[in-house]
Amino acid sequence: MSVWNYVVTAQKPTNVTHSCVGNFTSPQELNLIIAKCTRIEIHLLTPQGLQPMLDVPIYGRIATLELFRPHGEAQDFLFIATERYKFCVLQWDAETSELITRAMGDVSDRIGRPTDNGQIGIIDPDCRLIGLHLYDGLFKVIPFDNKGQLKEAFNIRLEELQVLDIKFLYGCSKPTIVVLYQDNKDARHVKTYEVALKDKDFVEGPWSQNNLDNGADLLIPVPPPLCGVLIIGEETIVYCSANAFKAIPIRPSITRAYGRVDADGSRYLLGDHAGLLHLLVITHEKEKVTGLKIELLGETAIASTISYLDNAVVYIGSSYGDSQLIKLNLQPDAKGSYVEVLESYVNLGPIVDFCVVDLERQGQGQVVTCSGAYKDGSLRIVRNGIGINEQASVELQGIKGMWSLRSSTDDPFDTFLVVSFISETRILAMNLEDELEESEIEGFCSQVQTLFCHYAVHNQLVQVTSSCVRLVSSTTREFRTEWNAPSGYSINVATANATQVLLATGGGHLVYLEIGDGVLTEVKHTQMEYEISCLDINPIGENPNYSQLAAVGMWTDISVRIFSLPDLNVITKEHLGGEIIPRSVLLCSFEGISYLLCALGDGHLLNFLLKLDTGELTDRKKVSLGTQPITLRTFSSKNVTHVFAASDRPTVIYSSNKKLLYSNVNLKEVSYMCPFNSAAFPDSLAIAKEGELTIGTIDDIQKLHIRTIPLGEHARRICHQEQSRTFAICSLKNQSSAEETETHFIRLLDDQSFEFISTYQLDPFEYGCSILSCSFSDDINVYYCVGTAYVLPEENEPTKGRILVFMVEEGKLQLITEKETKGAVYSLNAFNGKLLAAINQKIQLYKWMLRDDGSHELQSECGHHGHILALYVQTRGDFIVVGDLMKSISLLIYKHEEGAIEERARDYNANWMSAVEILDDDIYLGAENNFNLFTVRKNSEGATDEERGRLEVVGEYHLGEFVNRFRHGSLVMRLPDSDVGQIPTVIFGTVNGVIGVIASLRHEQYVFLEKLQSNLRKVIKGVGGLSHEQWRSFNNEKKTVDAKNFLDGDLIESFLDLSRSRMDEIAKAMGVSVEELCKRVEELTRLH
Amino acid sequence: MGSVLCDWPSFDPHNFSQLRPTDPSNPSKMAFATYHPPHSRTLPPPDQVITTKAKNILLRKFYERAEEKLRPKRAASENLILEHGCKQPRASTSC
Repeated sequence: MSVWNYVVTAQKPTNVTHSCVGNFTSPQELNLIIAKCTRIEIHLLTPQGLQPMLDVPIYGRIATLELFRPHGEAQDFLFIATERYKFCVLQWDAETSELITRAMGDVSDRIGRPTDNGQIGIIDPDCRLIGLHLYDGLFKVIPFDNKGQLKEAFNIRLEELQVLDIKFLYGCSKPTIVVLYQDNKDARHVKTYEVALKDKDFVEGPWSQNNLDNGADLLIPVPPPLCGVLIIGEETIVYCSANAFKAIPIRPSITRAYGRVDADGSRYLLGDHAGLLHLLVITHEKEKVTGLKIELLGETAIASTISYLDNAVVYIGSSYGDSQLIKLNLQPDAKGSYVEVLESYVNLGPIVDFCVVDLERQGQGQVVTCSGAYKDGSLRIVRNGIGINEQASVELQGIKGMWSLRSSTDDPFDTFLVVSFISETRILAMNLEDELEESEIEGFCSQVQTLFCHYAVHNQLVQVTSSCVRLVSSTTREFRTEWNAPSGYSINVATANATQVLLATGGGHLVYLEIGDGVLTEVKHTQMEYEISCLDINPIGENPNYSQLAAVGMWTDISVRIFSLPDLNVITKEHLGGEIIPRSVLLCSFEGISYLLCALGDGHLLNFLLKLDTGELTDRKKVSLGTQPITLRTFSSKNVTHVFAASDRPTVIYSSNKKLLYSNVNLKEVSYMCPFNSAAFPDSLAIAKEGELTIGTIDDIQKLHIRTIPLGEHARRICHQEQSRTFAICSLKNQSSAEETETHFIRLLDDQSFEFISTYQLDPFEYGCSILSCSFSDDINVYYCVGTAYVLPEENEPTKGRILVFMVEEGKLQLITEKETKGAVYSLNAFNGKLLAAINQKIQLYKWMLRDDGSHELQSECGHHGHILALYVQTRGDFIVVGDLMKSISLLIYKHEEGAIEERARDYNANWMSAVEILDDDIYLGAENNFNLFTVRKNSEGATDEERGRLEVVGEYHLGEFVNRFRHGSLVMRLPDSDVGQIPTVIFGTVNGVIGVIASLRHEQYVFLEKLQSNLRKVIKGVGGLSHEQWRSFNNEKKTVDAKNFLDGDLIESFLDLSRSRMDEIAKAMGVSVEELCKRVEELTRLH
Repeated sequence: MGSVLCDWPSFDPHNFSQLRPTDPSNPSKMAFATYHPPHSRTLPPPDQVITTKAKNILLRKFYERAEEKLRPKRAASENLILEHGCKQPRASTSC
C-alpha cells in the first residue's frame, strides 16, 4: 500500500444519537429528524409510515440537535451544534427543497476545560436565547434579538463544575435554567439561575433542591401550565417546582432517554439501560401537581433517544441495537406488553470487532461484525453486491443465447426457456411436476442456432435464425409463417418485441418487419454503409408492445444510431470514439427517464439520456464494468425494471433517486442471462455461466446486503477458522437478576448456519480480550487461542490473565493447554510459528513446546517492556507494530539469533490509540480517540540513530469516527485485470456502525483526485456553512493541522450526484472531459 | 393502566393509519437521497456569523464597574447639555 490514501464510506453511520419532531418542512407537515452522528435524516410522517426525505451529511459530529420556533415563524428551525464547537441554524425552503443557513458560528473558547459529561445545548422555550455548556465553569449564551436574529455570544461564570444536566424552565418571565450538578462530596443537587441578558450574568433563581438521588442525571422540564422540572434518578423520580415537591420510588434502572407525549407535559416515555419502556404520568388537579405515577409498557431496543410521533406511534432511536418504530396499544399482548414493534431499522453500531472472510468461496470478502451491545448484541454479515440464490442448475456447455417464452400472450408466467447453441436450439419447459425438462416447439427450427426469440401478439412466438424469421403459434406450437433472408445473405443480428422485428444481414442491410396474426410484413429495408454489430427495439414509450425508436450499433465507424420506426430513418448518429465496437445496445427507462445503454467489446459501458420524441442523445457517460464483451438484458424484480449486464464481471444497473447505479452480482462470469418468471420459480433469472445453466432468484437490488444474527448477548471479539469452517467469538451476557452480574464465554459457531455449536464459559470476573486462529511450527493442527483478563473490582489494571489454546474436535471446543499471564492479554498474533501476546505494558513471545508426554505447552521465549498498555498489535515478517493506550505507535523487531525483541522506532506523539494496521513494510496506519486517522513511516535511511528511531508522521486526517478495528481485505470481488483490482484496501469498522475502506493510490492518481477534491469543495458547500477543509483537519487537544495524504472519498464520489452543468464546470477546471472524469470516479465507487 | 394509555395526542389522524407492521427480524434500510448543496444559501447572512465576545469575564466585570462609576457623572453632563440646549434656541434667534 502507500502513503496516498483514499478514505470512503461503504456503510454510512447507523447509530442514532438524537431525534426530534416538529413542523420543519411545512407548517402542515410533521417531520421526524434523526441524527446519526455525522448525518441527519429528515423524514415525513405519512399515513403509510415514515417517508424518507433527505439524508444530509454534516461536517461535524453532532452534539446537539433541537427544533425551535422563533417568534413570528410558521415552521420550526433546526439548531445543530457540533463537537468541534461549531453551530448552525437551518431552515427548510419548501420551494426549492433546500436547507438554508439562517445563522452559524464558532462557539469555541481559547481557554477552557471541555466538559467531561458531554456538551449541552438548549434553547429557551420563549426563544430569548440559546444556552451552551461546553467548558467546565462556563455557560455560553447566544441571545436572540426581538426579530429572532442571533447576537454575539458571551460567557457567564457557572459555579458548579461537575454539571450533569441543564435545562430551561418553562413559564418564567426571565429566562431561567435549572442545573443538576454534583458537589465535591459526590452529592447531587439542583439549582436554578435566571439569565440576566443585560448584565450578562446569572441571578439566583426562584428555587433549589439539595441532596437528590445519587444516580440522578437527567432533567425533564415540564411545560405550562404545570411548569417545574422532573429529576430522573436511578431509584427515585422527583417533581420539583417553586411550590411543589413530589417523589416516587422506581425499580433501580438507568434512564437513557425520554420523550414527551402530551403538549401539556403530563406524560413522558422513559427508556432505560435494559431496553424497558415506562410511561411516567404527572397527576394534577388543574394546575396543581398531586403526584407521579410510573407504568411499565414493555421492551424495546435500548433507547438513546425517544420521539413521540403521532397517533400512539413512537420512534425509538438506538445506539446499541436496531432503531424501531413502535405503537403503544391500549391493551397488552399475551406477554403483557403494550408495545408493538411496527418496523425496525438496521444499526451496525457499535462495531466492536469484525473479520473479513470469503464464506461462499467466490473470491469476494464478506465482513462479519460484532455489532450492538448488551441484549441487543448481534453478528452482522455485510456483503457487497447482489446475490443469486440458486434454485436449480444443469450442466450445459456452449450456450450462445437464452430467451423465455409464454404459452399465451396473456399468461402471467413464462413456460419455455429457449437455449441456443452453435448448431442447435433446445427448448426447456416446465412440466406438471414443476420440473424443467426438454420439450419441443414444433414450428421452431431446432437444428440451427437461434439469434433471437420473443413472444408476439395473437398468441404467437417469433424465432430468428441466420436464414429466416419464423412465426409460430404459442398454443399449438405449430408453424404459421416465415420471412426468408434474400439468398446469399444471412442474418447476423436480430431483435424483436411483441409486434416488431428488426434484423441485419451481411452487407449492412437493415430490415424492419411487423407481426400480424399469422403474417410477417416487411415494412422497410435500408442499406447502411457499414456492417451492423447490434440492435434493439425494446419498447419504452407509451405502447408496451411497440417501439417508435430503434437503436443500432455499427462496425467500422464505431457509432450508435437511433432510427425512427416504422420509416427507418436515421435521426441521431453518435460516434463512440476509440476502436472497440459496440456489442450490445439497449433502450431502457428507469424512474421515468429514458436511456440508451451501449456496451462495448472491452467491458466498457456508455450511457446516454435519450429524448423519446427526437431521439436525441445527451449526457454521455462511460464506466468500466469488466474486460470482456457485455450483453445487456432487462429484468424485473419487485415490479421494478433493472438491467443485467452479463460479462466477466456481471453487474446489475439500476436507478436510485434518478441516478444510475452499478452493483456487482456475486457470480464470477456470466455469458447470458434472461428473466424466467415461471410459476415454480417466480421472479427468477436463467443464467448461463461456465458450462452451467442456473435458475435463481435475485436479492433485493441494493449495494450492501446485511444479514443479522441476533445473539442476545454482547460479542466483543470474532475470528474465523477456515479449516474447521467455524467462527469463534468472545462474548458476555448480562444476568438481569437482583445482582447485576455478567458471564463471559468463548463460543464456537458454524460458519454457514451461525448456530452456537460449542461453548466454553470463562471464570468469574474473567473477560475474553483477544482471539486468534493460528498454527504453530512443527504442528499441523490449527488452534483457536484466546487471551483473557481477570477484571477484579479492586484492581485498577488486571494483574492476571490467561492464554487458552483450543482445538475444534468434532465440532467442539477442546481446551488443549492454558498459560497464566501477569495481566490482560489485549492482543494475540501468529508470529513466526509462535504466539505473540500483548500483556499489559509488555509484548511477550511464546514458543509451542512438545512435552515428553506428547502434549504441548506455551513457553515464554522473550519479551519487550516499555509501553503504557500495549493494546493493538500487528506483525509483518519480523516486525511488530504496537498501538499503545496513550503513546501512539511503536515499531519493534524480533531478532532471531539473539531471541530478543527490541524497539526500532516510535512515534513520539501522545496519541491514544484505538486501532493500528500495517499498510506496507514502511507505512503504518493508526486511529486514535479524537476520531483521527494518521500514517507514520519508518525512516530506514535516516542519517543518525535518532532519526532512524523516529516514526515520521506522513498522513493526517479527521475521520470523525471512532475506529475499533482495521483489517486488510476488500468488500468487492478483486479481478486481477481490472484497474480497481490493483488498488490495495483496508476495511475499518466504527462505533457508529460505519464500515469504511481505505485505499492506497498511486501518486499520480492521488494528485489528480486531490485536485478534484479541492474543486469539489468550491462547488459542494457544507450544510450550515460548515467548512470541509476544517472538518477534515487533524484535531486533538494539542493541535489542529490540515489533512494531508488522505482524501475524502465521500466528497469525491458525490461528484456523480452533481448536475451536468456542475460536472462540466469541474471537468473544465480539471482540464479533462466529463466522460473521463465520470469514469474515473465511477471506478472508485466500485471499491466498496 | 388503561386510563393513562388513551387519548394519545394526534396532529393528523391519518398519520400511520395505513402502516402495516413489517417483519422485525428483517430490519429495513431506508433509501434516502443524499443532499449535496451546490448553492450559495449555505452561507448565512453576514451579520449572522456568530462569535463569542472576546472579552474575559473578569475584565468585563472591571469595565462594567468602571462604567458604573462613570455613569452618574455622565448623567449630570447630559443634564447640562439639556440645559445648554434650552439656551441654544435663544442664542440662535439672536443671531
